[in-house]
Amino acid sequence: MHIPDGILPLPVTVGGYALAMSVTWACLRRINQREDPREDIPKAALLTAAFFLAALIHIPVPPASVHLILNGLLGILLGPFAFPAIVIGLFFQAVMFGHGGLTTLGVNAIILGIPALAAAALFRILTRGYSSTPGKVSACAFLASVVAVSCSVLIFAACLLIGMPAHINASVERSALTILVFSHIPLIFLEGLIIGLVAGFLFRVRPQVLEGL
Amino acid sequence: MNHRSSTPDVALLHRWDPRLRIIALLLLAFAFSSITDLRAVPAMAALTLFFHTISGIPVRRLWYKLRFPSLLIIMLAVLLPFAGGSTPLFNLGPLTITREGLESALLITIRFYAILILAICFLGSTPILQTIRAFQALGLPGIMADIALLMVRYLEVLSKDLQRMRRSMQVRGYQGRNCSWKTIRTTALLTGNLLLRSYERADGVYRAMRVRGYGHGTHPRVGFSATITDKAALAAVTVMAMGLTWLG
Repeated sequence: MHIPDGILPLPVTVGGYALAMSVTWACLRRINQREDPREDIPKAALLTAAFFLAALIHIPVPPASVHLILNGLLGILLGPFAFPAIVIGLFFQAVMFGHGGLTTLGVNAIILGIPALAAAALFRILTRGYSSTPGKVSACAFLASVVAVSCSVLIFAACLLIGMPAHINASVERSALTILVFSHIPLIFLEGLIIGLVAGFLFRVRPQVLEGL
Repeated sequence: MNHRSSTPDVALLHRWDPRLRIIALLLLAFAFSSITDLRAVPAMAALTLFFHTISGIPVRRLWYKLRFPSLLIIMLAVLLPFAGGSTPLFNLGPLTITREGLESALLITIRFYAILILAICFLGSTPILQTIRAFQALGLPGIMADIALLMVRYLEVLSKDLQRMRRSMQVRGYQGRNCSWKTIRTTALLTGNLLLRSYERADGVYRAMRVRGYGHGTHPRVGFSATITDKAALAAVTVMAMGLTWLG
């Protein structure tokens, strides 16, 4: 779900940068209000590395394979750190692998980062109030991850709809985007399952890692 | 820290102050992405070739870095000419290639490669730590600079841990080639274990850093200094970028 350079028009890429910088500023402001803003930096760095490497973890989904995105997991474990972490991860993916783009860094950050923050908020709301059990935490994490990846797919499709050349036949464009969205459904549920299991495992072994709890 | 190497054979592009080099890269990348007229393509290609020449990066290494990202763009370039347009050029069976489709495919492909080659030339040979410090000098918040610096360290650690865990699983007969509950569960436990192991290491690193004074006082001043030549080069790139945007 990374849009490469050269596809989106200038107003969209500049707008993406402006929006991404605003969201980053808001997240950093929230982080700086904490008693110790730097306490979660090692955890954020670690998960940024995991997000970066997630492109290398392939799961077979016949006839091809998919790679995890992990933006839901970043949201659940990092809260407001998730967005700046994703920006950094995307920058290094673009520069080191050409995965994503430089001019589209802002847009890609919005595609993956805003849903990560949504996952964080949803996880926090769902696990609030009642005492948590591993099963409940897994279910909440599954839901949060499904919402995160679904939102990412929809925002990705919307960006392509805005950015693709105007001459493209409307029905061809609609069909292509529909196929794109539906082809991600296995990934959405697969990632939800994996993140749910990961969250349940972490809750059993080290619950303080989970930001929402 | 002085960014200039003492060896005489440092490529011309890498003698440029890293901060100004980053600004120039972003200006050119956005200028290239704004091009919608094919008449501007030769200028874009010439600039890309120029910067590649002065970067000193071998063509073979450039090609190695381009091959993976090329897959998606080649697919787009092949499909776009058939995706609609008002000026048909010729038919291939039931499919029609249009002028607008061909132009879009060409523009997207050239823009993509030009920007990617620039990124590789401008940043590909720069040590990552230097790049992060340059961004910090340009205003990247301290928290993000610290995340980036630590992330680079953890990449190496996580990669080795992941490799070791995968090998252990393979030795125990796990293949992971089919999409089954076992594969999903194993992937989840692998991810969870990897994160937990690294988290505990990260926690220890953080406490050691705090004991040594991390987080108290300001960030160390980074020692970049731009010469008149560096600034003149940036001014020239700015003019080129503006010219391309106007032309394109």
